[in-house]
Amino acid sequence: MLNKKHQDRFQIMMIICSALFIVLLGRLAYMQLFRTSYYAEQADGNRLRQSKLLATRGLIYDRHGKELVNNLPGYAIALQKRGNYDQEMLQRLSELLQIPLEDIQKKINESARYYEPIVLKSNINADLLAKIEEQRRYLPDVILQMQPIRNYIYHDFAVHMLGYVGEVSSYEIEHGLFKDVTTGSIVGKAGLEKYYDKLLRGQDGISMEEVDVAGNVVKHFDTVLPVQGKHLRLAIDYDLQNKLEVFIDQHLKMLRDSGIAPQARAAAVVALDPRSGAVRAMVSRPGYDPNWFVNGISVSNWNAINDDPNFPMNNKVITGEYPPGSTFKIVTGSAAFETNKVTVDEQIYDGGFHPLVPTMGNAGGEVLGWLTFIKGLAMSDNVYFYELGYRVGIDNIAKYARIYGFGKPTGIDLEGEGSGLVASKEVKRKIWNEDWRLGDTFNAAIGQGFNLATPLQLAVMLSCVANGGINYQPYIVDCVLNTDGTEYLRPQRRKGQHIDVSQRTIDYMREGMSATTEEGGTASYFDSLPKKVAGKTGTAENPHGRDHGLFVAYGPVDNPELVVVAIVEQGGYGSMAAGPIVYEAFEEYFRSRGWMPSEDKQDCK
Amino acid sequence: MDIKKIIRNIDWLLVFAVLALMICGLCLISSATYSFALAGGNSWHVERQMTFMGIALLLLIISLKFDYRILTNYTKYIYGTNIVLLVAVMLFGHTQLGAQRWIQIGSFTFQPSEFAKVFLIICLAAFMDKRIEWLEEFKDYLMVFLYIFLPFILVLKQPDLGTSLAFVAILLGMIFVSGFRYKWFLRLGAGFVAMLPLFWMVLKDYQKNRIRVFLNPELDPFGSGYHVIQSKIAIGSGGLLGKGWMEGTQSQLNFLPENHTDFIFAVAGEEFGFIGAAIIIILYFIVIWRGILIAMNAEDNFGALMATGVISMFMFHILVNLGMTMGIMPVTGVPLPFLSYGVSSLLTNTMLIALLLNIKYHSKTLQF
Repeated sequence: MLNKKHQDRFQIMMIICSALFIVLLGRLAYMQLFRTSYYAEQADGNRLRQSKLLATRGLIYDRHGKELVNNLPGYAIALQKRGNYDQEMLQRLSELLQIPLEDIQKKINESARYYEPIVLKSNINADLLAKIEEQRRYLPDVILQMQPIRNYIYHDFAVHMLGYVGEVSSYEIEHGLFKDVTTGSIVGKAGLEKYYDKLLRGQDGISMEEVDVAGNVVKHFDTVLPVQGKHLRLAIDYDLQNKLEVFIDQHLKMLRDSGIAPQARAAAVVALDPRSGAVRAMVSRPGYDPNWFVNGISVSNWNAINDDPNFPMNNKVITGEYPPGSTFKIVTGSAAFETNKVTVDEQIYDGGFHPLVPTMGNAGGEVLGWLTFIKGLAMSDNVYFYELGYRVGIDNIAKYARIYGFGKPTGIDLEGEGSGLVASKEVKRKIWNEDWRLGDTFNAAIGQGFNLATPLQLAVMLSCVANGGINYQPYIVDCVLNTDGTEYLRPQRRKGQHIDVSQRTIDYMREGMSATTEEGGTASYFDSLPKKVAGKTGTAENPHGRDHGLFVAYGPVDNPELVVVAIVEQGGYGSMAAGPIVYEAFEEYFRSRGWMPSEDKQDCK
Repeated sequence: MDIKKIIRNIDWLLVFAVLALMICGLCLISSATYSFALAGGNSWHVERQMTFMGIALLLLIISLKFDYRILTNYTKYIYGTNIVLLVAVMLFGHTQLGAQRWIQIGSFTFQPSEFAKVFLIICLAAFMDKRIEWLEEFKDYLMVFLYIFLPFILVLKQPDLGTSLAFVAILLGMIFVSGFRYKWFLRLGAGFVAMLPLFWMVLKDYQKNRIRVFLNPELDPFGSGYHVIQSKIAIGSGGLLGKGWMEGTQSQLNFLPENHTDFIFAVAGEEFGFIGAAIIIILYFIVIWRGILIAMNAEDNFGALMATGVISMFMFHILVNLGMTMGIMPVTGVPLPFLSYGVSSLLTNTMLIALLLNIKYHSKTLQF
């Protein structure tokens, strides 16, 4: 009998079979008892689809509640998270989106630590949307995400203040410049969009769905709804800003075309309320359209911005550091009165040059004869202020420059503000390692030489004069609003501080500036305004070309409500290049106050 | 029939294991085909499987009336029928999933290669039984190999790699217990290795791919590796207690393909967890264990050889199928006995169990 003769074979068979069963059980136990979480995660990855519900960015309004920035509905193309993707699908996607395959792969790698879909392209157009829908079945991992698209309603309007948004870069993520962002998140890149990004951005929501193998949604889980960002209400006045922008463009063109200033392409203008520091308008030229950046800027647009020698991206009101020119005579004058080196009635002789440094005289070489302070300021006499500078000395000039706010950022709610420079012995030593000379003091006294100031610093100085000696921190955002329009918070600002200049001195400055816009002053055409405006011209020396023209003014003089500073690069004399811009600003302001008939009515006449 | 004799001579443990597996199978099929059933408004798969289970069990009971030894009288016809059926598949069979395996008679389709396994076990056992006395030298076995060669080639041509490998398993099991020397096994192994390149050339492209992808499933995560990846995810994510009947996300959301046939064990693993899946493995162990005991105690060589063939075939199916679902064996399209949906395989497996029971039933030296 076989099974008696070869009984051992049956026993061996039993052993082999038992061993095989142990292997099977062991494998089962390994998978189900020791690797459960590994496989469970994969099973969830199969069935759970998490998608971001993108928060709508807060809106931006002007001071009267006019919408300046809003959002349009749009779609973003995203990839469902997976361990690895079908290369064929990625290739197809790369062709559709016209993004190189390596870039897609890079984004996938960058998103490795997030569980959220990977945004490949934001704000796709209707054409592409249709194409993607058509090829949907070849693109199983592709998700179309609803995405609010930032819309700058008036294009380049107030662009240097508003800034723009864009996709967060890997640099910004790695360096932790933004909190709670993932690849593909939209963040503020410049201006208020960047400064107030955290408030504007809101909180993205999450939606979790269970899907079957074909991608059909089987079940919805609890959804975390997105929270819209806060709105910003600016101190900016749309009408004033708009008028100024339009006028400045026309004016610059006129200056160029007429041959008065053929290179006048860049300008910086700021208007603020001296009673609070509220910025009513801020224009920097040239500008650009922020909508270009929203979807990723095209090469041609980028080149247009990048190759422009006048730096369209810079907000010259806060980053432009110019010699303040004759507008600085207010500092020199204040220093002289405060240190009692001159009286308001004292006459100083202008013989065309100063006897101690005969090479330095008036622009154009005029000889104005005996001058009091008021006349000297109104006619912007250099020799008069050389004498004041000689009397008070550079240390006092520097001291009062700092008192008026020069040499440090004003603290406005924008990034990248310049500090300017206050001329002093230390500065010269540091820069050139040379001793201070009397000529340097003369230069400093009339705002040339080492002195540098941003247009905003000039506006702050002038506000101190206009409001009787209070330094306010200038600001653009008046109020942060909840989505229902109620006040959420007011950005913290330092309180107005009395500067260490006497009322009497400030009155002299006002008198001198008032005289500037009167008969015989450097800007007498301001006479035609219904309310008196006090101003000061300035010319900033420019070693690279024509001088920059400056004009600063406040008005109405009896109760100042507006300070305007304008600078036209390579515009030549301030009264001609910058004065008309300031004039336009007051005209618009007075109209809005009802002190002047509106333009429409004038047209009817 | 003598009731007492029946009660005494039936291997109840084996019967229990098989019935338990069949019931598990029904539960799993109904879960795996739940979405079909919802869509179609009926539970066609479960009903059909249940109907044939009844038929198969009836046939099993009837078959006990006959002594298995009468089969030796008919081996020529059985062998002939087998060849005829396999040739018929080649000529008239209809193609499904790239292989010609099914024959349709009226509305009833069946897979002759499934039945071929039963026929082969019977014929081979009878063939070796007659020659057992002079199976002394290696060359004596050449006749045995030759005997199996024709059906083997016919099945391989369909192509049905799973069944042809099952033939090899049956052959190896039977010659092993007949005293085939170990060094001869080594010789066969060496010959096989030498033949491998030739074998590789005979394989269809999809079979080659399956082997490649078995070695590295990530090679083709969306193609043939997909089955294994999803099956492993299903089993692994089941954990100790499972996700509950009809609650498996892999099975119910159709991430797991072929979940009512070849990959049914993955459904068990996912929904019933380690406890459920381990019980199934233990039930299979009982089947094999009782089978080996029946072979060891068979009254004659024919019975011992047949029982060995049956065990070999079951062991092959269990090992290859479970190994495949757990990612330690290549994908070969071998159904899991009693669990996988499939009427032909159900009838075949029940017949094989009937053979085992019959061998024990008609033995006289019984008590084990």
